Order: sequence, then structure tokens, then C-alpha cells
Amino acid sequence: MPDKNSGTPVKRAVLSLNGSPTDELVIECGCKLARADHSELVAIYVLQVDWRHDLDDDLEEQREDASRTLDLAEGMAEKEKVPLESQLLQARDVGAALVDEAVALDADAIVLGLPYKVRFGGDFALGETIPYVFKNAPCRVFVVREPVARSEERDENMKGI
Amino acid sequence: MTNDEGDKRPPSSPESTTPSSKPRGLSGQKLGNRRVRVERPHSEYFRYTPSGALEARPKAHEEVDSGRRVMATARHVLFGRPLASAEEIGERLSKKKALAIFSSDAISSSAYATEEILRALLIGGIGIAALNLALPVSITIALLLGVVAISYRQVVVAYPNGGGSYSVSKANLGRLASLIAAAALLIDYVLTVAVSISSASEQIVAAVPNLGPWQVAIAVVVVAVITMANLRGVREAGNIFAIPTYLFVGTALLMIVLGAWQILVLGEGAAYPSLQDSSIDIASMAILLLAMRAFASGAVALTGTEAIATGVPAFQPPESKNAATTLAVMAVLLAALFIGITFLASGYAIVPNEEATVLSQVAGSVFGLDSLGFYLFLTFAAVILMLAANTSFSAFPRLAAVLAADNFWPRRFAYRGDRLAFTAGIVVLGVLAAVLIVLFGGDTHALIPLYAVGVFIDFTISQTGMIRHWRRERPPGYRRRLSVNALGAVITGLVAIDVAAVKAPTSLIVLALIPILVGVMWFIHHEYDTAAEELEVDRSRVYGPPTKLSRVIIPVPNLSRAVIRSVQFGRSLSDDVRAVHLTIDREAAEELRRDWERMLPGVPLVIVETPYRSLVVPFLHYLDVMAPTPANTITIVVLPEYVPRHWWDRFLHNQKAHRIREALIGRPNTVVADVPYGAVRSGDGNGHGVLDRTSQDGDEANGGGQSRRRPDRPPRRFGWRR
Repeated sequence: MPDKNSGTPVKRAVLSLNGSPTDELVIECGCKLARADHSELVAIYVLQVDWRHDLDDDLEEQREDASRTLDLAEGMAEKEKVPLESQLLQARDVGAALVDEAVALDADAIVLGLPYKVRFGGDFALGETIPYVFKNAPCRVFVVREPVARSEERDENMKGI
Repeated sequence: MTNDEGDKRPPSSPESTTPSSKPRGLSGQKLGNRRVRVERPHSEYFRYTPSGALEARPKAHEEVDSGRRVMATARHVLFGRPLASAEEIGERLSKKKALAIFSSDAISSSAYATEEILRALLIGGIGIAALNLALPVSITIALLLGVVAISYRQVVVAYPNGGGSYSVSKANLGRLASLIAAAALLIDYVLTVAVSISSASEQIVAAVPNLGPWQVAIAVVVVAVITMANLRGVREAGNIFAIPTYLFVGTALLMIVLGAWQILVLGEGAAYPSLQDSSIDIASMAILLLAMRAFASGAVALTGTEAIATGVPAFQPPESKNAATTLAVMAVLLAALFIGITFLASGYAIVPNEEATVLSQVAGSVFGLDSLGFYLFLTFAAVILMLAANTSFSAFPRLAAVLAADNFWPRRFAYRGDRLAFTAGIVVLGVLAAVLIVLFGGDTHALIPLYAVGVFIDFTISQTGMIRHWRRERPPGYRRRLSVNALGAVITGLVAIDVAAVKAPTSLIVLALIPILVGVMWFIHHEYDTAAEELEVDRSRVYGPPTKLSRVIIPVPNLSRAVIRSVQFGRSLSDDVRAVHLTIDREAAEELRRDWERMLPGVPLVIVETPYRSLVVPFLHYLDVMAPTPANTITIVVLPEYVPRHWWDRFLHNQKAHRIREALIGRPNTVVADVPYGAVRSGDGNGHGVLDRTSQDGDEANGGGQSRRRPDRPPRRFGWRR
């Protein structure tokens, strides 16, 4: 679906957070957008619920982790003096929930983070959410990929563990 | 472009943050893409920080009680919205504002220091010729100012945490010297406020003589206004007070330049009779003593010099550098104004008299009497005299906070209020100054002899401390710095003796107060030390579950829902529960026993008759004598407490419970538990509590104490609303 608002300032951007190290990059990017265009930011954390649970099950631990992430996002945005609302969703499919929520909020941009990962065999891994959002979001989509050096550093740390 | 059950709401709408009782199921664009929005009721109140701790947000600081909420609103209207600790950096002072705040005392003294010198010279018996000494004396004082300022610049760099002389002497001279320095300064700050505001109110009354009977009241109101301005925060005080300070400095410098032009270039000046023409030998002891007297009087110009060193943390970063620069600018300005005004007074041969101040005579000579410049300058001078008090309002609370942090002053003084100002210090300073003004009837001349003694004691201690500092640290070029401090210590020490002697016997009051204040600070420190020792925990120890038994005693006035709730609560704590009823009415007590045994079987009721009608004290003796705590047991006294509906109900209920609680504080192996019963708030979902009565029986059957928490508040553990 083409973006009819292409070239116009972003009024409302949805920031997709998932508790990964790329969240920081997503928020930074969102704050830059917000400062440039005076846009509103909505940070959304989608908890993926598998089929063993009902969609509205109380996933207490995951909810608390998600809440921490959203709180940190609010704190970062507050430091940057950028207004940010946060939402916690539970859904079967993260990409679909993001797109649906962006539509519901009439957002004109979605920002996602992408860790630098390669699959076994050397292919660059894009995951499932980003392709879904690329295909289905009616608005602009920004993907912030983490620097390769940072991902290598993270992998080294993981080996240490 | 949407469906989502009409959910096309901007995120800032209130509904998006208000907790709802059920998670909202929302359908997606494609079939099966449903999602559920999870409310986070805690997010309005608390937020996780990167360290994993919770941070209380502004909503969590809002008062729950409606009366307190009204008070908080009034406070915010009066003093401004509360500032978060993170905003402290924004409250820091730029050099321009800091100069206005910390220097108003020192700079304002240029308005009267010249007059003090001239008056001291005039009463020496030598005549008007003695006034020729004014300029050399003022230059000598300016040199002393230079030495003190250089010394305090070194203090500012060496001790960036503030505290000035107190910090220097604490680090180098030990506890006693530091407490003497602190006590001397605290006393002098109070006097600065009292003197400057009394002086300002005298100026107002001089301008409008009809206000004479209100002079003290005017002074007290001015103290209150300055106190309130400072409670609004240091930055706002800077905004309020900066303009008058700079207006005074600007017009005074203009006056000096114009006057110097008139005297030196146009030759419009006059001269005092020469000292050589008088019968006095200018090398005689009399002249020396007269000069010393004038020096002691003019030395009041140095008061306030130390304030910047006390308040270094109030500066924007780099704090030390900015404070040192501000101190240098202040010293240069003060010296220029002081010498300039004295030069003009000598250049126009002005003689102090009762009709007009020296400053007004100088202004009249330069600008012309009744000119606009004359009136503007005198107005600014009156305002700066009033604002001299503001320096103390910045320095006193900071010094008190440093002392409190070291446990030499009540800890309350170290806490910042809503506006990040040291509220307790500001209020106490305002109250003490107002009391002093009332006690001395707002008479500046009565207060002046008390003034400036403490500052010179403080200067001396500080400079001596810096000598030891340099001897210990020995950085490159330390000998030069050490010699500056040594010279300063000797001179300020001599001036301290000189000022105390010249202003005796009144000045002795200050000399007597200093050791008293030092004693008080020592006592406070001892108390805190003792409490800390008592509370100290052996951190290497691991604490297992409690080994002591417990038994419950409940004083019951009657058989009420509050009592039943307390008994059930007591039963949840221990199997050993007994009630004690103290009475003056035997028949009523028997009736109570009958009902008690029927309604609360298994809980013994002890009836104590009190023919002397006292209820609380016999209960305490009952505990000691009839029911002494067995070994290895804790007595829990459960007090049924009625929760009043209104604030004024508090005067009508629970008086005995309060007295029992107070009497039991500190009793060995005894714990007091309040069990409230009565009006509780139930939320209407919008954060507005409404009063309701508790449902009793169910809760009582469960034996739980009633929670005071509002149902519309977030749960203590962050569960999730479903």
C-alpha cells in the first residue's frame, strides 16, 4: 500500500520494542524523528503468546520484563524531552499486531530494530516481523540495524557466558 | 484504513492510560490477528530505572488526603511546582546570577562602609582633618579584601563541595576549630539579615516618615518576602534579585566615573583641612589608634566575602572555576565601589551628619540634588541594602546542610524541599532574623556592634587552615600561596581582635554565643553517634527466623466492631490473646463480660476497676505487675483505633489509644500495633476517593487488619489488571 503522506513530516511514529539491545537504537531514532518533526511517539512492546496460552493469559514474568523495557523507553524519551506514550500488547503475531496498532493509531511511521545476525550457512537473517511489516504497513517503515561491531561484541560476551 | 472496533484514538487521550478492569481484545486487519492491550496501572506512579530500581513518578508524590491535597496545591501556587532531583542541575546558578545572589551582601556594604570610616575618624577628637585618613584606610581595607579573596579562591578550588571555612578547618585544624568557624558564620548570617533589613526599613521610614510606627512590621514583612522568594528555589531567587543588584552596581560605577571626571578633570572638588596644619603629630599613637578604629569600622565591607566559598555546589559546572571567577569579579567590584565612593567623599570633602547619609551627599554632589540620577541611585542603594540579606539566605542553609551531613546539625537541614531549596535552613534563618529584629526594635545601631565579629574569626580560622593545607599538600608554588594565607591569617586575626575590642561590650554577646552553639553542635553529634551505635548491624551475621514467642494484650473500652477486628487480628498473631477492660462502672463491665464470653469465646477478658478514674496509667502498671512479659516472649499491645471521617474528628477519638501508644514507646520487648477501623476511601476510578464505611463482618472473620490503601491506587506488588 503506497504511503500517501510520503515526504510530509511524521506526526505519529510507532516504535517497536522487544527488550533486545536494538531498543536503544530504535528509541534514539524515534527521538530524532520527533525532534525534527515534533511528532508523537508511541512505544509498543508486543508479547508473543504461543498457542499453549490464551491470548489474554497473565504472563506475569514476561509482562514485567516488557514493562521494564517500556519504562526505560519512557525514561530515555523524557531525558530527550520528547513526548512518548507506551503500550503493552499480547498477540500471536508480533508483526500483525504492530501493523494493526499503527493503523489504529493512525501512525505515519513504524520504527523497528534489527540485530545483526547471520543464520547457519552465512545468510543474513531478517526474521519474520520485519518482512511482515514491510509488506503490510500502510505507512513509512524505518529499520535500524545495529552496527556489526556491536553485534560481534555481543556475541563475544555471550561466548564468555 | 482501520477497523479495531472503533479504536482510532490518539495515544494521548486519557483512556489510553487509565487502567481498565479487563484487557481489551482488539481485532486486526486480517482474520485471526487479534491482540490484547495490557494495562500497566503502575506506570502512572512508578517507573523502572536502568538499574532495576523503581522510581516514584510525580503522581506517586500526590497527596491522597483531600485536605493535604488542598495544602499541596496552595504550596505549589505559592512556591512553584515541585522540582525533581534531576532538575537540580537546571537550578544551578550562572556566574551572573551567582554574582547577584552571593555578592549582594558584600557589594551593598560599599553603600555604608565609607560612612562608617568617616564617622569613626570624626569622633577621634582630631577634627575634620582626620577625614584625610579615609582614603588610605579604605585602600588598606581593599588590600585586605584582596588577600581574603585570593585565599577564598584557593578554598573554592581546594574544597569544591562547599562549606567554606568549615570545610577548610575540618580538614586541616580539627573538629573544634571547624565548629567554631561554623558557629561564628551561622551567627553572622543571622545578624546580616537582621542588620540589612533593619537598615532598609529605616531608609523606607526616612523617606516616608508616616510609616515610623510600622518600621519593625515592615522589616518583618521584608524578611518574610525574602524567605518566600528563597523557598521558590535558588534560581528563581536569582531571577528576582539580579536586576536590582546590577542596577546598583551600574549606577554606582557611573557615579564614580562622573565624579572622578568632575574632581580630576574639571577641578570641581574640595578638600579637607590638611593634617599637617592641625596641632596633632601625624606619626603619633593617637593617629594610629584612630586609623585602627576606622579600619575596624570599615572592615564591615568584607562581610559576605566568604559566602561564595560556602555555596560552591550551587554553581553551574565547572563549579569551582565559576565560583572562583565570580569571587574575583565580586572582589574587584567591591574594591572599586568602596575606594571609588571613599575617593568621591574625600574629593568633595564630605562630612557625615545626621541629616543626610554620606552616600546621598556623594550622589547629590555628582548627579546634583533632586536630579533623576540622584533619586534613582538612592532607590537602588536602598534596594541593594535590603537584598544584602539574600546572601545569607543562600549561604546559611548551605552551611547548615553541610553541618547536617556531618551530623552536627539536625539532619532535616540537609533535605531539599519541593523546590530543591534547603527549606529548613531558609525558614529557620527567616524566623531567627525576624525575632532579632523584633527584640532590638529594628534599631540598626543596636545590632551593628554584634555584627562582623564572627566573620573575622571565621576568616582567621579559614586562612590558618589553608596554611596547614599548603604545608601538607606542597603543590608547585605553594610557598607563595602559603605566604598569602599567612599574611591574611595574621591581619584578619588582628582585625578580629580590633573589631571585638572596638565594639565591646556588645560584641561579647557573640563571643559568648559561639561556644554555646559549638556545644549544641557537639551534643547533636553525640546524640547521632549514640543512635548510630545502637542501630549498627553486624553485616557478617545471617539472621534466621525469629525464636521469640508472642502474646497479645488488647485494651478494650467496649465491645465494638473496632475491638472485634483487633481481637481477630490479635488471634492471627498469637494463640495467647487477652483483653483488658479498665472501668469505673462495675455493672457496665459485668454486662460487657457477659456479651464478651458469648461473642468471643476463648479470649479471656480481664476487668480492672479504677476507682480513681485514671485509665491509661493503671493499664501500664497492669502490664508491668499483673502481666509481666515472660522470658523469650514479645508482648504485642493491639490498639483498636477508629478512623475518623473528617480531620476534626481526630480531636474526638482515639485519645486514650494515643496516650497508651506514647507511654509504651521504649518499653522493653513490647510492640504496639494499631488496628484501624472506620471510614476508608473507595475510588471512583478517576483517582478521586470517596468516603465509605467498611464492610465489617467478612473481614473481621478473616481476622485481618484493615488496609488504608485506596482501591484506586496501584497494588503494592505489580500484578496485572485483567
